[in-house]
Amino acid sequence: MPTSTRKGPASVPDPIATAMLARSPVRQSKPLRQEAGWEVSSADTGAALELADLTPITKVLVRASSSAVGSSFSDFGRARRDEAGHLVVGARPDEWIVFGKAGSAAATISQIEERLAGAEGLVTLVDVTHRDVVFLLSGTDARGVLEKICAIDLSDRTSPDGTAFRSRVAGVSCLVVREDRDGRPAYLIDADRSYGQYLFDVLVDAGAEFSVEVAGYTEVF
Amino acid sequence: MTRSPRRLDPRPGEVIDRNRRLGFSWNGKRYEGYEGDTIASALAAAGERIFSRSFKYHRPRGILAASLHDPNLLVQVGDEPNVRAGYRKLEDGMAVSAQNAWPSLNYDVGSLNQTVARFLGAGFYYKTFMKPQRLWPAYEHVLQRFAAGGKVAQGAERRDCDKRYAHADVLVAGGGPAGMSAAIAAADEGARVMLVEEEPGLGGHLRWGTPDDLARLAELRTEVAARPSIEVLTYSLVAGRYDDNWISVLQRGLPQVTERLVKVRAKVLVVAVGLIERPYVFEGNDLPGVMLSTAVRRLVNLYAVKPGDRAVVFLANEEGEAAAEDLRQAGVEVLRVVDARRGGGLLRARGRRGLDSVELQDGSSVACDLLVTAVGWTAPMLLLNASGDRPTYDEEAARFVPGGGLPDNVLATGGILGDGPVGLLVDHGRATGALAARRALGGDAASSSSPEAVPALTAAPHPALFRSGTRGFVDYSEDVSAKDLMAAAREGYDSVELLKRYTTATMGPAQGKLETINTVAVLAEATGRSIGETGTTVWRPPHSPISLGALAGRNYEPVRYSPMQPWHEAKGAVPIVAGQWIRPEHYGDPAAEVLNVRKNVGIIDVTPLGKLDLRGPDVSRLLNFLYVNKWSKLEVGAVRYGVMCGEDGVVADDGVTGRLGPERYFMSTTSSGAAAIHEWIERWLQTSFREWQVHVTSMTSAFASINVAGPRSRELLARLVADVDLSAAAFPYMNVRQGSIAGVPGCLMWRIGFTGELSYELHVPSGYGLSVWEALLESGRDLGAAPFGVEAQRIMRLEKGHFIVGQDTDGLTQAFTAGLDWLVKLDKEDFAGKAELVFESERPRESRLVGLQPVDPTVVPPEASQIVSGSSTIEGRITSSRFSPTLNRAICLGIVSQRCASPGTVVTVVHPDGTRTPTRVMEHHAHFDPEGTRLRA
Repeated sequence: MPTSTRKGPASVPDPIATAMLARSPVRQSKPLRQEAGWEVSSADTGAALELADLTPITKVLVRASSSAVGSSFSDFGRARRDEAGHLVVGARPDEWIVFGKAGSAAATISQIEERLAGAEGLVTLVDVTHRDVVFLLSGTDARGVLEKICAIDLSDRTSPDGTAFRSRVAGVSCLVVREDRDGRPAYLIDADRSYGQYLFDVLVDAGAEFSVEVAGYTEVF
Repeated sequence: MTRSPRRLDPRPGEVIDRNRRLGFSWNGKRYEGYEGDTIASALAAAGERIFSRSFKYHRPRGILAASLHDPNLLVQVGDEPNVRAGYRKLEDGMAVSAQNAWPSLNYDVGSLNQTVARFLGAGFYYKTFMKPQRLWPAYEHVLQRFAAGGKVAQGAERRDCDKRYAHADVLVAGGGPAGMSAAIAAADEGARVMLVEEEPGLGGHLRWGTPDDLARLAELRTEVAARPSIEVLTYSLVAGRYDDNWISVLQRGLPQVTERLVKVRAKVLVVAVGLIERPYVFEGNDLPGVMLSTAVRRLVNLYAVKPGDRAVVFLANEEGEAAAEDLRQAGVEVLRVVDARRGGGLLRARGRRGLDSVELQDGSSVACDLLVTAVGWTAPMLLLNASGDRPTYDEEAARFVPGGGLPDNVLATGGILGDGPVGLLVDHGRATGALAARRALGGDAASSSSPEAVPALTAAPHPALFRSGTRGFVDYSEDVSAKDLMAAAREGYDSVELLKRYTTATMGPAQGKLETINTVAVLAEATGRSIGETGTTVWRPPHSPISLGALAGRNYEPVRYSPMQPWHEAKGAVPIVAGQWIRPEHYGDPAAEVLNVRKNVGIIDVTPLGKLDLRGPDVSRLLNFLYVNKWSKLEVGAVRYGVMCGEDGVVADDGVTGRLGPERYFMSTTSSGAAAIHEWIERWLQTSFREWQVHVTSMTSAFASINVAGPRSRELLARLVADVDLSAAAFPYMNVRQGSIAGVPGCLMWRIGFTGELSYELHVPSGYGLSVWEALLESGRDLGAAPFGVEAQRIMRLEKGHFIVGQDTDGLTQAFTAGLDWLVKLDKEDFAGKAELVFESERPRESRLVGLQPVDPTVVPPEASQIVSGSSTIEGRITSSRFSPTLNRAICLGIVSQRCASPGTVVTVVHPDGTRTPTRVMEHHAHFDPEGTRLRA
């Protein structure tokens, strides 16, 4: 898995080179297809409220001091797209998670390295693509679903588009990022992979009253 | 089907939908009601008068308040006990039955208790069943059978409840005219408002009021509906207010769930809960047919039910007059209106199974079936009490009023504060709502003009009427009479808090809503003090009893699975719960799994192992500090075992750490210690060693971890690994390599072993875990490759004498006790636990962990068995024991006192059943291959 400290290119090629199939911990609904070497669902719902498993997306953890990084990264608690289309999330003080296209870990890491080439102090990039699950909950009632399992104030005033926070969702520590889609609220929920199936089931259960439907993998980055 | 003879023609404010008929049963008999009815209103429409039997004397009881707080209307609905029939909406198909009555509601044997009532006063059970103490269990068994309340069916149908977290700028508790106005004004200032009303509809007392009231209500409802920033929760109970305006709301009537607990954080709370009408204490005041004026007005105006035929009205206020007028309009013959303001008085009510006649103070007796009382109000103080207010008694108004002391984030409006025409309540509500919004929003409020003054609202004078000369019930729920209270006061229970606990007055299901003020009044009378001097009890949440199901909500207990879980499930692995992880304990035969590892090769899923990625120039310093052993000279590619101790020198965790690059290390911890150790390391880095350049990243779930163990493990691995030289010379014991496995790059391979065999611990990017697991089994089929579970691993590690932190050690086991003398390096500069371990090293050892073998090889002492010398001197305990399939004998680890720790000593192990097993202390922890030749192969 690609990793990097400070300088130098990623030492190992991207997993896409293998013939082996990578899988999300969440049971995928049929029909199935492959996305960058991952088994994903291609179900299409068109529902007003959708839950999709985006686990295959690239996730790179960046650790550096905020002062060294400067304004090139989003603030803690905020998320924004960079020019390459990555979503840069201020996940913790001095810690970011960068989301990108599935199968693009090596490229993402080298782009970030380039950007942080002059940064002072210890800079660490770790590919955590396989560590975390990411779900996308999108639709007008997405907030209603999340309100049942997460205690954070999700109103537009407190948590507008572009907000990122870490909190417990149904008892699991998650990173929640609001990035609205087509004018409707949408939340990316990032959690430790081992909780994946549990968390997915909880989201489906909480969303039942809003008629949530499980959608296939969609390209977000 | 029973018809509804007491249903009136349509009323202007009725809430029933006459087009939607609902069928239900009452004690097995079929009835019909309308959508919008409560259970009680539907039964009252059908002519039912008796709804329950009282708690102690089993007296027949009927409608008193016709509301949530009616103490007489607890019924069983299906398998749900204690349903409030005056509140719960009727549903089609409900099977309603009476509680606390046998053999039937109309003929209850328990009512015989009344004949001995004089012996059943307050404290009867405390006094009677004190001695002898040995009979307490027998008393309990018998008395339980008399316990009141409904029945919880053991196989009851599951009722789903859930929770929701909400955040409001302003939460208005109470949807009457003042509350609605407050919500409207707050919304107009830009606040997000939550308006919570107990009843299924907004409006409070306007709902059963005059045509003018109804018109006003329609306007207010329209205004509320026009403001999307007001979220209206009707049929919802504000159950409590806690610090920082954390407010619990119990919501009913949702299509998805039976009940929902809404946990609200409100910036400002507006208390607009109105008033509750209080009953009058007189002989016969609990007879079916004696009702509060508000009950009558609800029945007539909301549910179109004629509550009686011939009525006497005893009143002291305008609301009583309005009730009398409602009765006349409903066709009830109002025989007498007795006005306390003009000197009228009520003596007692008579009747057996319901009201037959009323005796008045003027000596007359009136035959009737309905007696309505309107003697005043109680302010429900819970939310104000919980916010710091201490109510004071207003002599003029004859009720408790808020006493001040509220924080800035709690305001009150409406009836709880004072009385006035609807217009005044509305104005006060609006001004209060606007003020609440401004306090909640600070500078963000919409209105820039100076705030509108909040008009004065005070309690109006009202006659102080609590009790006639005769002695009736004060607490209906608990059958506590005025006589009981007076007797208790004479016994010395003259403080209201003591009196309450001794007599249980106000402690029943109605929780004092109706009873508190009368309890205080009777006590005041008995002690010759004023009501103000007597004071009131503190109101505590919940406002009304709430179900445990609502508090529990959904079962959110996270579970963790490894990427190989689908395979384990498909192969029928027996699961074991290990913290949040679900792991395979075995696949059918753990002993066979052990033998296969010893002979061929086995693979085990060890994904839960804690894994930390450590980077930076100061990692080596950090490791030196965290572990008790030395880390400065670890070469790239090498792996070392380490133990961590707390500052008390107690073993906290163990594991191996490998060096992957000059400034890159990879640490493994125990599965159970993974999260705690990560936090512990971060704590050191963020407090004591802030200048150290180290980044620690949890990677536990990033890798699927597979241990490949057994003499043929190298052969198996070689078939799947092309880019790493696996030969013993190139990849020796206690080394780590990075490479590809089965075509999956980015894998780590550690040559270490917990089982004592030649083995490799593989860490594969999680997404590929299942693929690699399957590839290993597929490629190793001819080598005998087979999975093994946690149990086989535990057997093998015990054969090999490896301890498990938390099993073979406990919260007192220091490093030396665990036999780690060889590892602890006290000559290091500093490390966690050093001070304590130096101290320990200078003291004589008390006990230590040793290997043990029962002399009789077939006896396996249960874990936690005591080790004794002589007959009963405790020398230690067995911490682990198994039957070893490899050695074909029982083996153990245990902690024994130093004097028994010499190899060859035979100690006695006492099993829980008393069996005594002579057991020999061994030279090594390891029972198998103590030299370690196999794992170094």
